[in-house]
Amino acid sequence: MIVKYFAWLKNITNIEEETISDQSVIDIKTLKKFLTVKYPKLKKYINKNDIVRVAINLEYVTGNKIIKSNDEIALFPPVSGG
Amino acid sequence: MIKIQKKNFNLENEINLIKLKHSNIGAISTFIGYVRNYNNRQKVIAINLEVYQDMAYKSLEKICSKAHQSWNLIDTLIIHRFGTLNINEKIVLVATFAMHRNDSFEACNFIMDFLKKEAPFWKKEFYNHNYKWLKNTNQKY
Repeated sequence: MIVKYFAWLKNITNIEEETISDQSVIDIKTLKKFLTVKYPKLKKYINKNDIVRVAINLEYVTGNKIIKSNDEIALFPPVSGG
Repeated sequence: MIKIQKKNFNLENEINLIKLKHSNIGAISTFIGYVRNYNNRQKVIAINLEVYQDMAYKSLEKICSKAHQSWNLIDTLIIHRFGTLNINEKIVLVATFAMHRNDSFEACNFIMDFLKKEAPFWKKEFYNHNYKWLKNTNQKY
């Protein structure tokens, strides 16, 4: 799966996107766990819905959702356009 | 029509492109967002807007479709810019085209409300000695 990061989350990951193919990552919950090990600074933000929002294939998701290997996941803070 | 672009736009030209296609338009409502010079009790130097472009197109198309279902609209236009924008530059245009004003007024407000809450754009505001990522108010989670 491709994981994309936006806004200040990129300051933590230092990359805009990456491909993750770790077998342990099967849903949003396990993805977040994987990412907090890879990026320890994400830990205090990643489970707070008012700080980090998640989209799968360009749609917002809340709670835990199954992820498929060809999905595009995006993690980003609350929006501020307009 | 939805446009996500770096370059500036001319309001009258953009409106006319759509207006000239439909002689039944009797009302056009527009909202234009600008970069202002003061925010968070600080003088603003410029902003940088980041966008998740594929998702922004998809979500804005969805909201225009919802607006068409709820109001009697002839057409809609959203232009949202990204990249570095200086004070006084235009950020966003929402224009709604209808036969009558109530449809255009209400739909314009509805689209703008949605855009502020859901469309994946992020504003980084630069001051003299620091910067801040902004967050719009009243967002749903």
